[in-house]
Amino acid sequence: MNQGSAPRAAAVSPAAAPPRRARPLGGAVAYLLILPAFLLAALIVLWPLATITNISLHDVNRFGQLRGYSGLANFADLWRDPDFIATLWRTAVWTIGVVGGTLILSIPVALVLNRDFYGRGLARIIIMLPWSVSVTMTAVVWRWALNGESGLLNSALRAVGVLDHNVVWLASAATAFPVQIGIGILVSIPFTVTVFLAGLSSVPEDIYEAAALEGASGWQQFRSLTLPMLRPFITLAVVLNVIYVFNSFPIIWVLTQGGPANSTDILVTYLYKLAFRFGQMGQAAGVSIIMFAILLAFTLLYVRLVSRTETPT
Amino acid sequence: MKPIFHLMGSAALLGLAGMAQAGDVRITVAEYSSKTGPYFDKMVSQFEEANPDINVIVEVTPWDVMLQKLTTDIAGNANADLAIIGTRWLLDFVEQDIAEPLDSYIDEDFQARFIETFLSPSRMDGQIYGLPVAASARAMYYNKSLFEEAGIDGPPATWEELKEDAAKISALGDDIAGYGLQGKEIETDVYFYYPMWSYGGSILADDGSSGFGSDAAIQAATMYKSLIDAGVTQDGPTAYNREDVQNLFKQGKVGMMITAPFLASQIKDEAPDLNYGIAPIPAGPDGDRGTYGVTDSIIMFANSGNKDEAWQFLDYLFTQEPRSEFTRGEGFLPVNKAVSEEPAFTENEDLKVFASVLPDARFAPVVTGWEEIADVMSSALQRVYLDQATPEEAMTRAADEANRILGK
Repeated sequence: MNQGSAPRAAAVSPAAAPPRRARPLGGAVAYLLILPAFLLAALIVLWPLATITNISLHDVNRFGQLRGYSGLANFADLWRDPDFIATLWRTAVWTIGVVGGTLILSIPVALVLNRDFYGRGLARIIIMLPWSVSVTMTAVVWRWALNGESGLLNSALRAVGVLDHNVVWLASAATAFPVQIGIGILVSIPFTVTVFLAGLSSVPEDIYEAAALEGASGWQQFRSLTLPMLRPFITLAVVLNVIYVFNSFPIIWVLTQGGPANSTDILVTYLYKLAFRFGQMGQAAGVSIIMFAILLAFTLLYVRLVSRTETPT
Repeated sequence: MKPIFHLMGSAALLGLAGMAQAGDVRITVAEYSSKTGPYFDKMVSQFEEANPDINVIVEVTPWDVMLQKLTTDIAGNANADLAIIGTRWLLDFVEQDIAEPLDSYIDEDFQARFIETFLSPSRMDGQIYGLPVAASARAMYYNKSLFEEAGIDGPPATWEELKEDAAKISALGDDIAGYGLQGKEIETDVYFYYPMWSYGGSILADDGSSGFGSDAAIQAATMYKSLIDAGVTQDGPTAYNREDVQNLFKQGKVGMMITAPFLASQIKDEAPDLNYGIAPIPAGPDGDRGTYGVTDSIIMFANSGNKDEAWQFLDYLFTQEPRSEFTRGEGFLPVNKAVSEEPAFTENEDLKVFASVLPDARFAPVVTGWEEIADVMSSALQRVYLDQATPEEAMTRAADEANRILGK
């Protein structure tokens, strides 16, 4: 342990003595130390990944038992399926809509909660509260609230005079999908605000005082000070939220199960139907692999793009 | 190597296999209601008293995730010895050699306990693969108070009459609908087969291809769409699943709806003052009628290590006393002849109607990919209800897609 921690400490604080002992210890010991974490990752990430890849390349019966190699036939079937292509695009709309909306709303909320005002603790608790309720439960409550006949939303909107007749929100995608995106934003805000608050607390107060002295307006301070300082936290929020929202199942499943007529399906609900309703395990595994590839590509590309724009500054 | 292997195996099976011993019988049962779990616990303790060397373990699983649980269990080789399944899934289980044929256990006496109509869907290639544990058919519930208020004498005999009656009832108030139309989630397609059968259509044509493109199907879809356009159904049917429509009926907001016997037992508990009647599903122009018959079956898994013990438990479950208690508790139709002759069933007005429509009962077709075909039909209907396609377009497309799944 001692031998191992020495080079690590040296690497973390480059200002300290030159890392004399780092090189000779590198090889075997480093790999040995990484081994437990690698084994764990292999068990919970690589092993399922390998299994799913294997399933996606086979003809599989509905009970997940392999019935012979089929090459890329499952992927070809998906490609010919108009529902799959439409679902792919809808997943992009869903992800961009929810993550974009969450970011736009979370920044001002975080800025306000970062100010010192009476009752801030309470305000923070209220903003964070939805986080403590499971997303599935939130979706169930919304399903009741959105009921066309006896839903809370309709009676509330009628009471304030916005509506003069009941809207059956979940009857068609035109109303159901925007509502689902809205709920997605609502449940993503607590986490995102938390990330931004952490970022804001690391911004020193005095630079704002200096900027104010120089005559910078509030908007200029935000553009030139807050936003650049928050950038790594925005990157983090984007990457984590995209991964989470892209894979998010409960809201859409509970409200519409992807219907009517597949018009609110996203990849993960479509995958579930393929696997557990229609018994198309091979195609479902294919969707799973495609989702994994999309997320991996996005994350690598985005982090690379962000770090490239950051280096010159 | 062996202990390690055993350890890994138990971990993979969530410890269940690790606990199982010779003489243990595991049964996965569907949770029909809150009474299901206690019922099976009681049966197990009675059975174990008579058979002290057999230990029965019951796993209660909600219906919604039943197929998913069984799929996962089978894929992981961790399935129970017995399980309740929807009989419409049985073909997949038989084709993949998951289900054990039961003929070697069944003698004439045992077979004579069942009403043949309900046993027949479990028969494949001349062998019995499942024992019907629950059965139901569909009939039309109507709200007598609303009918009276609208000045209608009795339930409609044909779909033409239904449309007129629904219009009269809808005229009673803004939040009252004549006919409750299901347009969402499981059995959206079934809600449409009722009129399709009445118009003389069928799910599969005689040559085994899809019957969705037939004139009867298009006429039935056109009829349903005309109900929506005339405003005699509840608003936005595509937002209402079966439970939602049943809730409207219990609240007295819907004049008529078609569903299974269990609504009657729910009304007894939740809306005891509701004045309702049950009638056969309306007939078509040529007098055709159809109702949907559903059975669930208990199967034995081919890989079970305790088949004889499992059969002993089945034999006990299908004797009169346990069957009677289950059928009464859950509000199903009797599948056991002796049970159906008990006064609790022969003197029940509601169940009499359901029993009377049984000759018209049609079961889900025994084809692979049935769940997918049902989904194709549900989507087609939703497009019609939402005005995104004409009945001709939607039904023709549904027939094409169904034929692709059927390989026709």
